[in-house]
Amino acid sequence: MIIANDLHKSFKTKSGIVNAVDGVSFEARDGEITGLLGPNGAGKTTTMRMLYTLMKPDRGQVLVDGMDCALDPIGVRRALGVLPDARGVYKRLTARENIAYFGELHGLSAARIAERTAALSAALDMGDILERQTEGFSQGQRTKTAIARALVHDPRNVILDEPTNGLDVMTTRAMRGFLRQLREEGRCVIFSSHIMQEVAALCDRIVIIARGSVVATGSADELRALTGEENLEDAFVKAIGSEEGLFA
Amino acid sequence: MSGARKVSIMSTLWSVMRKELLEISRDRRTFFFSLLLMPLLIPVFLLGGGALVQNKARTQMDKVLEVPVQGAERAPNLVAFLGAHGIVAVDPPQDVEVAIARQDVEVALYIHEDFASDWRAGRPALVEILSDSTRQNAQIPVQRLTAALNGYGAQVGMLRLMARGIDPAVTRSVTVGTRDMASAEAKRGILLSALLPYLLIITAFLGGAALIMDATAGERERQSLEPLLATPAQRSAVVSGKIAAACAMGLFSLLLTLLAFKASAVLAGSRGQMLDVSFLAIAKMLLVLLPMLFIGTALLTYLAASSKSMKEAQTHMTWLMLLPMVPTLMLMVNPVKAELWQFAVPFLAQNQLLTKVIRAEFIDPQVWGLYLLASFGLAAVLWFAAVRRYHQERLAISA
Repeated sequence: MIIANDLHKSFKTKSGIVNAVDGVSFEARDGEITGLLGPNGAGKTTTMRMLYTLMKPDRGQVLVDGMDCALDPIGVRRALGVLPDARGVYKRLTARENIAYFGELHGLSAARIAERTAALSAALDMGDILERQTEGFSQGQRTKTAIARALVHDPRNVILDEPTNGLDVMTTRAMRGFLRQLREEGRCVIFSSHIMQEVAALCDRIVIIARGSVVATGSADELRALTGEENLEDAFVKAIGSEEGLFA
Repeated sequence: MSGARKVSIMSTLWSVMRKELLEISRDRRTFFFSLLLMPLLIPVFLLGGGALVQNKARTQMDKVLEVPVQGAERAPNLVAFLGAHGIVAVDPPQDVEVAIARQDVEVALYIHEDFASDWRAGRPALVEILSDSTRQNAQIPVQRLTAALNGYGAQVGMLRLMARGIDPAVTRSVTVGTRDMASAEAKRGILLSALLPYLLIITAFLGGAALIMDATAGERERQSLEPLLATPAQRSAVVSGKIAAACAMGLFSLLLTLLAFKASAVLAGSRGQMLDVSFLAIAKMLLVLLPMLFIGTALLTYLAASSKSMKEAQTHMTWLMLLPMVPTLMLMVNPVKAELWQFAVPFLAQNQLLTKVIRAEFIDPQVWGLYLLASFGLAAVLWFAAVRRYHQERLAISA
């Protein structure tokens, strides 16, 4: 369970202060997939970085399983599995070594790491790449490795920043299946996307973010009803108030 | 779900260190280059460079020196005397000064027009040595010529006094002798005492550079830092693990370098004996260089961690390479006595201490104490600064 409460974050840039996130609140429940939907530059990644304690909000609070990110960041990180926007894997290590390294950082025993690696490898269908050095991996293979690495400690909460970005159709379908499986296992899953169909197909709840703020929240049906549009894409455009960034 | 337990700082440090070493060992070329460059370079300097200098000195001392002499016909006896001492007079070129400037001629002799008449009258007869004093190559020939001329002057002077029935000894009211108090070991070490400390200090200072830059700036550039910082690993443990890995590699390279140094000193035969390369001396050198390894690695971590790319991090290497030279240059321009405070100044201290070890001089326990305290203290401060860097929010954000 992840609760974001009135998050604010601004950055100083050469052209002045940018309010990247300006009042974001939502609740992501266990056993549900929550989608953060928004055009590019809406503040999705910054919001997520505050969720996984990489950034401190200027104002507001994040609770993960009741733990406050500001008070117990390490406890929070232990309860989270994170696929960040930057998902570089170590090129000179094999996929298995990449996963094991993060397992060690989470304090898992060698036996537990082997067990989890086997489970994740089966779920993500990465048996044939497990022993290969990740140098030269395809985008999909890299993403799989990064996800397996992020989930090695079997976290209750999973945050994925645009997990299907750059993947081909088959891999994207497999990825959706994997996200559903995480939901069936009772985990709290948050993922961000700017792709409408994906969010509509997967999410139990959708949080639409535009210009740093939440402009609408609800299930796909609720959003259609809220905006009075039949088509979710039209509902989305209506909610964010422009088509800006949608096709980027 | 879970099973994650609290992870100790030491086990995180150990995991990070092992992973960094595994990663760089898979990058064969970088690995071997950074590990073996200095161990291979030191013998080349020691054996090759030393042989070159000694060879030069020997041939310049022994071979017949040809000196262009202007006005040789005015002093046939002098020319004959020089010839007997291995200095042959040759015809001077058109313009002697130009020839010296062009480095065609190292040293020339000018016998003054009035030489013959002055000589016969018993007045001091003038000869001039022409050379460029800034040219090192000319030093030995000038010394040889001066010595020969002085010898001739003294010999003739004595003969003249004896011809007048006077004991030549009365003209020498004072006899000046020199006794060089430098120890035999020190004299032998002079050649290498300038170069060797610099090479060793550089080896220690930048021994972990390849690994640490790859593990900090490189990691950031390859975008694997953000996932790493999203794990519960303590940041101080992560940084320390990286520094520890770089230091382990630097230490290994340093050990190889010192052993190569010892081996080549032994191989160099008589020339090698001018250096103290006993295992005790090697151990002392290691103790001198160990803090330098920590200082260099921690400083690089601090610098590279805040670089946006590997390229930016590498730009630091230029001035870092020059930094250890600063005290050497300062000492060359303005030689100072070894005083206690110098052993608290980085680079200067290592330079002084290494020179002392190589020259087999005694090092005061007080000096050791101050040195180790100051240098490990500096390393700790830099380590702390590097850890602080890893706590900065903007560090994790790659793009």
